[in-house]
Amino acid sequence: MPEIDDHQLIKRVVQGDERAFLTLYDCYVGRVHALTLRILGNPMLAEEATQDTFLKLWSRSRDYQPERGLLLPWLLTIARRTALDRLRLEARRPTLSDAKDPAEAWQVIPDDNSLSEESRWRSLYFAVQALSSEHRQVIELAYYQGLSQSEIAEVLGWPLGTVKTRLRAAMELLRQEWAQNKSNR
Amino acid sequence: MTYYEHVPFRENIPAYALGALDAEEAAALESHLQKCDSCRAELADYRSTSESAFAMLPPQQPSAALRKRLQGRLPGARKSRRVGLTWSFSRLAVGIAVLLLLALNLFSFLQVRALQNQQAQLIDQIQNGQMALAMLSYPNTQAFPIKEQNVMGSLLLDKEYNNAVLILRGLPAIADNQIYQVWLIAPNQERTSAGLLRPQANLPFISQPIQATQDLTNFVGIGMTIEPAGGSDHPTGSQIFRVDF
Repeated sequence: MPEIDDHQLIKRVVQGDERAFLTLYDCYVGRVHALTLRILGNPMLAEEATQDTFLKLWSRSRDYQPERGLLLPWLLTIARRTALDRLRLEARRPTLSDAKDPAEAWQVIPDDNSLSEESRWRSLYFAVQALSSEHRQVIELAYYQGLSQSEIAEVLGWPLGTVKTRLRAAMELLRQEWAQNKSNR
Repeated sequence: MTYYEHVPFRENIPAYALGALDAEEAAALESHLQKCDSCRAELADYRSTSESAFAMLPPQQPSAALRKRLQGRLPGARKSRRVGLTWSFSRLAVGIAVLLLLALNLFSFLQVRALQNQQAQLIDQIQNGQMALAMLSYPNTQAFPIKEQNVMGSLLLDKEYNNAVLILRGLPAIADNQIYQVWLIAPNQERTSAGLLRPQANLPFISQPIQATQDLTNFVGIGMTIEPAGGSDHPTGSQIFRVDF
C-alpha cells in the first residue's frame, strides 16, 4: 500500500472513521498476526494480542507520526510489545510496555530513511534463516521471547559470555546483510 | 572519548537493540548513549536491522471472527462514510427526482392551461363566426365595409334584433400593455365602450360581437382605438377606423 494512503487513512482513523480503520486492518493484519503468533505460539493468545494491537492503533492513532516512519514498522513494534507482555503475563514475568506503548514505539523503530521495501525485508528474513542454529536460537529467544542475555544463558544452559558472543556475532552478520542490501538498492 | 573507552559499551549495543541487555548494563549504556553520537548511530543501525529481520514475517491470517469482534469493540466509531455518502446520494437523487417531477407537472399544467385558453379562443371565434354567418342570412342585416389603411373587414348590423358583429383582418400588432377598444358613436359624437379585443397572431381574421348595452338605433356609427390594457372610459388613443351607419 502506498505510504500516502496510510497517512490519509490514519488521519481518518483519528477522526473515528471505522471504514478507514478496517482498511488498515485488512492490509496489515497478516503481518501483525504472524508476529504475535510467532511470539506466543498459541493461535488463541495470538488473536487476542493481534486484537489488542489494533485496538491500540484505534485508540492511539494520534500518536502515529508519519514523518518519523512508515506505519507498518510502528504497528509491528506495538504488536511485539503487546505479545511479549502477554507472554510475560502468562509466565508471571514483568511486562515491557505501559499505557504509553504506541508513543514509546518511536524510540525503537528504525527511521524512515533506513527502511525499505518488501524485497529488502524478504532478503533479511532469508538471512536470518541462513544463520547457524546457535546464532539463530540466541537471537530468537531475545526478540521473540523477550529474554535478557542472562535469561537466555539460563534457558540454554550456556555460559553468559557465550550467549553474549553469539548474540553479538549474529547481529553483526545481519547488520552487514542489511547494509549490503541498502547499498545495492 | 578513545576507541577503547567505547569498547565495553559498543559490545552491548546489539543486545540492547534486541532488548536483551540486563538491567544494570542497560542503565550504563543508556547513560553513555546520552553523550555519544557514534554509539547512538550504531544503535539505530542495529535496531533497523533487528526490526526488519524479525518483525517482518510471512503473513498469517487470523480467523475471520477477529475482524467482527474488533468492529464491535471500537469505542466511538463513526460508521462507514460510504454508507453515509450513499444515504446522502440517495436522498439527493430522490430530491432531484421529486423536483424534476414537480417541474414536469408544472410544465404540463401550463401547457394544458395554454391549450385550454387557445381552445376557448377558438371556440369564441367559431361562435362569433357562426353568429356572423347567421346574421348574413337575416334579411334585415346590413353590411358596412371597413377599409382603413391595412385594416379591412365588415360591420354586420341588425338593428331589429340589436346585434352587430365586426369582422376584421390586418389589425396591426399591439404591445402587451395595449388593447383595441370598440366604441359606439352617438349622434352627439359621445362614445360608449362596446368591448375590447386583441387579435390572435395565428388567426388571419377576427370576428367580434358588439356588446351593446343600449339600443343600437341610438347610435350613428362605430369606431375603434388603441387604448391601454384594460380599456378606457373614453377614447384616448389613435383611431383605427370609423364606420357610420
